[in-house]
Amino acid sequence: MEFYNKPGEYDAINYIPPAESHGTKELWRTFWILLGITVLDFIIYFVMPHTGFRNFIFIFFGIVKAYYIVGAFMHMKYEKVNLALVILVPTIFIIGLVMGLLYEGNALTYAK
Amino acid sequence: MANHQQAAFEQQPMWAGGRSPFNVSYGKLMMWLFLLSDAFTFSSLLVQYGAQRFSNVQSPIVTNWPDPAAIFNHFPFMHGLHLPLLFVSVMTFILILSSVTMVLAVEAGHRKSKKEVVRYMIYTIIGGAMFLGCQAWEWSVFIGEGATLYGNQFGITEAGQKVFGALGFGDHFEWQPEYRTAGPVPFAALFFIVTGFHGFHVFSGVIINVVVTIMAARGVFERRGHYEMIEKAGLYWHFVDLVWVFVFTFFYLI
Repeated sequence: MEFYNKPGEYDAINYIPPAESHGTKELWRTFWILLGITVLDFIIYFVMPHTGFRNFIFIFFGIVKAYYIVGAFMHMKYEKVNLALVILVPTIFIIGLVMGLLYEGNALTYAK
Repeated sequence: MANHQQAAFEQQPMWAGGRSPFNVSYGKLMMWLFLLSDAFTFSSLLVQYGAQRFSNVQSPIVTNWPDPAAIFNHFPFMHGLHLPLLFVSVMTFILILSSVTMVLAVEAGHRKSKKEVVRYMIYTIIGGAMFLGCQAWEWSVFIGEGATLYGNQFGITEAGQKVFGALGFGDHFEWQPEYRTAGPVPFAALFFIVTGFHGFHVFSGVIINVVVTIMAARGVFERRGHYEMIEKAGLYWHFVDLVWVFVFTFFYLI
């Protein structure tokens, strides 16, 4: 690694980009949003009858919660687009795979 | 020093090698990639769970899959009351709260405030331990009611459905043997595998948090000049929270 460690040059392996604080305001806002959605989950569970639409709402809320956790708590909003794509694109594909396999899982009903 | 390094860093062409095109350190990038692979692991468990559940569906909603509201309806110190979803919501709240204290520790690390980092990390560890305790309690109740890896006695008969359907939140209930029948076999096994795998992640997360807290308290990161290790532990901890969001959705809500 001496190639990258000439005096005056940066150290590619050990280089840590400087981190800055974005304050705690957004973090607490995210906490209240997550708590609010969880309470909403709880209310909808008892108020709405068990339908496919209710399941859709719960999954949608799950994705909203995931957005806030990854975006604010895991700092993804402030990362470079390069990193976000590396992490999020495969995740979107795997979600597609999960949905596809669940849909096909219906066929197991008839295989019995 | 830091500014000088950053200036040298910024001058490098982005994709020509020798620098990270992601503007994160090597360790943080590897933590992200580990979390990605872990997301795949949990997705595969979710596929298995979903396929088993979908294979027991007669119509989109009518299913002989056991209703979680009829099983996970206990709350500590409130024996014999029908309280579905309440305990697991409390667990979710504990995990969200410990996520917030974790991210506050990361934020304090950016300001290089050692005292605050250690304080918030201790709160996070307490939250994680509380979550594990809740899960142990839930498992012990579930096993006490007869859950095994090899069978499922949680199917509800018509008599049970009638009694159970009339129960309101907080009503007294008493399970009778004639309410229950055999259900789809992998129900309890999948519950144990998925929540157990998640619980093991929480357990490892608590251990990682204890280690980095001790390191922070002993001034290791102060001497190092940055608190990036807290950030890496935080990424892992938030991922555990993220997985719980989906376990909560698919095992308890749906």
